[in-house]
Amino acid sequence: MEKNILTSQRTGDKCIHVKHPSGLDIYICEMPGFSSVEALFGTKYGSINTMFKMTDDKEYTVVPEGIAHFLEHKLFENEDCDVFELYAKTGANGNAFTSFDKTAYLFNCSKNYQQSLRILLDFVQKPYFTKETVDKEQGIIGQEIQMTNDNPEWRVFFNMLRCMYHNHPVKIDIAGTVESIAQIDAELLYKCYYTFYNLNNMVLSIAGNINADEVLAICDECLKTCEDKGLETVFPDEPDEIVKSEIYEKQPVGSPIFHIGYKCRNCNGQERLRKSMAGSVATSMLTDPSSEMYQKLLSDGTINSTFGGEIFCGDGYFTAIFSGESNQPEKVRDAIVCEIDRWIEKGIDEKDFQRIKKSTYGLLIRELNNVESVASRMMDSHMEGIGPYDTISVLSELTSSDVLDFIKDELRKDRLVMSVIEGTV
Amino acid sequence: MKYSRTQLGSNIAFSSVIDEKFKTSYLTVRLITKLSPELSAQNAMGMGVLSSSNSEYRTLAEINEKLSSLYGASLTTFASKRGDVQILGLSSSWITNRYAIDGENIEGDMLSVIEKCLFSPNAENGEFNAESFRITKKEILDRIDAELNNKRGYALARASQVAFKGEPAENSCYGTKEEAEKVTAKSAYSAYRKLLETAQAEIYYVAPQENPEIPEMIKRGFSEVQRNSGSVQFRSVSKAKDSIATESDEFDVRQCKMVMTFKTTSDDIFATKILSTIFGETPFSKLFLNVREKMSLCYYCACRSLSYKGALMVDCGVERENIEKAKNEILNQLDEIRKGNISDEELSNAVLYLDNGLSQVGDTPSSYASWYFERFCDGNIRTPQEILDEYRKVTKERITEASKALTLDSMYIMYNKEDKE
Repeated sequence: MEKNILTSQRTGDKCIHVKHPSGLDIYICEMPGFSSVEALFGTKYGSINTMFKMTDDKEYTVVPEGIAHFLEHKLFENEDCDVFELYAKTGANGNAFTSFDKTAYLFNCSKNYQQSLRILLDFVQKPYFTKETVDKEQGIIGQEIQMTNDNPEWRVFFNMLRCMYHNHPVKIDIAGTVESIAQIDAELLYKCYYTFYNLNNMVLSIAGNINADEVLAICDECLKTCEDKGLETVFPDEPDEIVKSEIYEKQPVGSPIFHIGYKCRNCNGQERLRKSMAGSVATSMLTDPSSEMYQKLLSDGTINSTFGGEIFCGDGYFTAIFSGESNQPEKVRDAIVCEIDRWIEKGIDEKDFQRIKKSTYGLLIRELNNVESVASRMMDSHMEGIGPYDTISVLSELTSSDVLDFIKDELRKDRLVMSVIEGTV
Repeated sequence: MKYSRTQLGSNIAFSSVIDEKFKTSYLTVRLITKLSPELSAQNAMGMGVLSSSNSEYRTLAEINEKLSSLYGASLTTFASKRGDVQILGLSSSWITNRYAIDGENIEGDMLSVIEKCLFSPNAENGEFNAESFRITKKEILDRIDAELNNKRGYALARASQVAFKGEPAENSCYGTKEEAEKVTAKSAYSAYRKLLETAQAEIYYVAPQENPEIPEMIKRGFSEVQRNSGSVQFRSVSKAKDSIATESDEFDVRQCKMVMTFKTTSDDIFATKILSTIFGETPFSKLFLNVREKMSLCYYCACRSLSYKGALMVDCGVERENIEKAKNEILNQLDEIRKGNISDEELSNAVLYLDNGLSQVGDTPSSYASWYFERFCDGNIRTPQEILDEYRKVTKERITEASKALTLDSMYIMYNKEDKE
């Protein structure tokens, strides 16, 4: 078992990568001086993975919306007890989350990390689902779905995705719907579990006050070797065009909110990283408080400090999003379109580009200052097919031409969508 | 780690935490005053305007350009409340000079920006610059409006109004919309000057290296101010009402929210904290295991302890038809504690859980600052280990006693419209 030391040329930060004989990829970052430990045991399985097969299967299996999230809830219950009861004895804070393209089980603690790591590795490898426990969970997740339906930030985001994507499952709610989760049973959960919770499809990421050799010894003790069965996930064909350009919904909000998004062409691995860095700098420049557009919109009261931009991307989807609060979201949209046209015509100010690039670099350095961020970064980058420190290197090579190319190629008027939540009170 | 605390003037204290593991420096200045319905909005705006410009960087554009050129240094202002007290603050964080690609003096430049924001704001003739003030005023009015966007937070804020009616804690840290509308560039500036003169000032610097320039900068700034500061009382216990007060609102939402506020007559804050932990602060608490896991009534049903008001709040999101059932089970679980039904394991797990949180103090710069600030508010600066020792001394009997000292004071319910009978 070879330990590969990965180093950031820029900051000197280091972590270890090991391909464990069980099939699991393991990332370890010892962080001297920190008290806490953050561990994430993740699988590349999220809400978008609704259609899949193994090499030996003839047909693709299609599963109900929200099943990855349901599975996450149910894995916390094993045959003898609830996993939280086990963590309670170590003092660790256990949790889990499901996103579009991953599910991760995690704990953070400051003492007894060895014991908590054993609990984590053990319960995730030991599913236990029965009709009774599945039925019980329907009520709890039903309440979670209702809660998120009342969350305007959640609604505005998913409404935007539904306007963008015809077929790609990124448009479905992570937790599914009350109707879709009613179709989930124990058998289906086992099917999904044995498909996606194969160690060859998973990663362990652990950072903080730890010892790498100790971590690896625990992995040797707890990991059960998995045969790589050649998992294939597929997504329906997705046209480049959007579904519709705007959507309005009414909710009890005191301040109306908007998401303005561009549907961009998707890509993977290093190409996605380069494109997302160019997109990230482009959206930061467009929403920079010292920019002309921001100043104009702020001075006439159209936006406030919640206005910002980001890139949201994953397997089969890539979007650039501008969001905030406004009584006149149409005016914000028009201003963004106009500003992009101006940049395409006149080019990007090199000084502004360098400044925003520096600011982005500062944010990446801050991530390395935090145990939780380091652990997340190692897991996320592995799942994205890049190295943990690649972001800083790609940023350092980024030029203003890359940013301008992104704007020209991807921020197209015909791929623009606006989602608004208006107030009812 | 090296901690030191120095008095720089009347009710002005500078705390420094030096920990070489950090790649960033963090400075936070907190001005503390009594929460007043008349002054909250003025204070919030007076402090809020400071991060939008200063006497050197005259516009939001200029100051932000400077911050982004300093590798995205952050500079924010905030208003918050802690019981009957309003806390107005300015916080800033920047990467240390070691990481500057072009050898800039990031820390030196940031201190200059902060000094001007605090002590030489963008003001003339006794009022803030009109444009900077206008932006801040809109920002705060938007924050007040946006409180409803977060339903759980809104329900908790409404529950505070019901529970602490007639006390300063019933007010929002931003004031009411009506009060906020009335604030002018002049009144906000006067409010800020008054804060500099009268508020208790707590300054925290967390960084990998000491910087003697910071206390000097603070002293220099306050040397121009006629200080007339009194001490603020951080703990003001609220008495339970004679009968349970209930208020509700109705909104077009899918899930109802319920908040139950209990008041205590016990001064045993350590036993009350462990009671709260066992009752509903963890995924192995009585509320989580029963209201959520056994009865499947809620996704969240949690308890929080407001020691500075002598109160506990339990909140949950629940279907309208299950409100009564959830309420009864919450009360039932509290009764279990009152009857002494606490296992050795529940007690030791609660202490372990708190120990875990305490041991992580110091893993982020802001956690150090928050820790020492909270201890200052307690009136006793203790280490996490000293607090842990107090928790370890708590017995089941003390928890049972603390639970018997709780009375249900009030309830707030957010109903959904469609199902309203």
